[in-house]
Amino acid sequence: MATQRTDPPLAASEVDTLRAYLAYHRDTMRRKTEGLDQAQLSQVHPPSTLTLGGLLKHAALNDDWWFCRVFEGRETEPDWVPAGAFDEDEDWELSSARDDSPAELRRIFDETAAAADAAIDRALAKDGLDTLSVTPSRREGTPFSLRWIILHMIEEYARHNGHADMLREAVDGQVGE
Amino acid sequence: MLRSFLDYYRATILRQTEGLDAVQLATPLPPTTMTLGGVLKHLTWVESWWFRRVLNGLPEPAWVGDGFAADPDWEWTSAKDDTWELLVSRYREVVAECDAILDAALATPEGLDLLAQRPRHGSYASVRWILVHLVEEYARHAGHADLIREAIDGRTDL
Repeated sequence: MATQRTDPPLAASEVDTLRAYLAYHRDTMRRKTEGLDQAQLSQVHPPSTLTLGGLLKHAALNDDWWFCRVFEGRETEPDWVPAGAFDEDEDWELSSARDDSPAELRRIFDETAAAADAAIDRALAKDGLDTLSVTPSRREGTPFSLRWIILHMIEEYARHNGHADMLREAVDGQVGE
Repeated sequence: MLRSFLDYYRATILRQTEGLDAVQLATPLPPTTMTLGGVLKHLTWVESWWFRRVLNGLPEPAWVGDGFAADPDWEWTSAKDDTWELLVSRYREVVAECDAILDAALATPEGLDLLAQRPRHGSYASVRWILVHLVEEYARHAGHADLIREAIDGRTDL
């Protein structure tokens, strides 16, 4: 596997621990989707309709949503989402991935992760993990702390990597953490 | 906040495994051999491992016995011989014991920076590391359980 992955440090500060786990799970998703062609990335494991390519695009959408839109308050969709995409299909990122090349999916994933990390860097330079999101919770009306958002993204990535474990094993038998 | 995420996933794994009979709990989604009963018993053992054995340096609990002597995946493969009631009652007992261990650890002056008594690859993990690790370990297994459960009875988003 080309992607190197670093185990999170066993005894580190809160911010270093959280960021290391976020990086660990992004790298895990890269590894789970590496070395596959477009057909393999589009393969389903019935009855679920999830695909490895769909997970890559969904993860990118989540990184963009939480760090760039909710946390920093950007109001527009990312440039890789066509206008009105979600009006016709609320799972657009999952279903449209089959039309993207593996290189395009990885580009979207990597560029979005880098933009999310830049947003984290900007916040940490000011108020750290206590920095509050520009956009409040739709349910509770209160903003999210950066701490909550990073932890949420760790468990979100980890759960989708659980899906990826199942999908990858069904595609070519490859298993492992 | 770390504890609330852990509790969220403890509840999630119970939701994903409840309402099923013994055959359903022992049904894998090939090619993987994982089952929902196995996930629950594995996470019971994982809780015990990190809080009892690693953080507090205690031996394996009595319910494990010498299970691992003959089978390194004992907690996964033996789950089919346990009833749902036994799997859940043991899980709840272990979680209560682990919460008590965690309460005591967090009451120390070191709190989340307190180091475990048993090393991992020669170094010692902090309580903070153990908690974040458990959240991501639970979440990943919840991802496995999502697909297994959907294949059994179509239930999703549990």
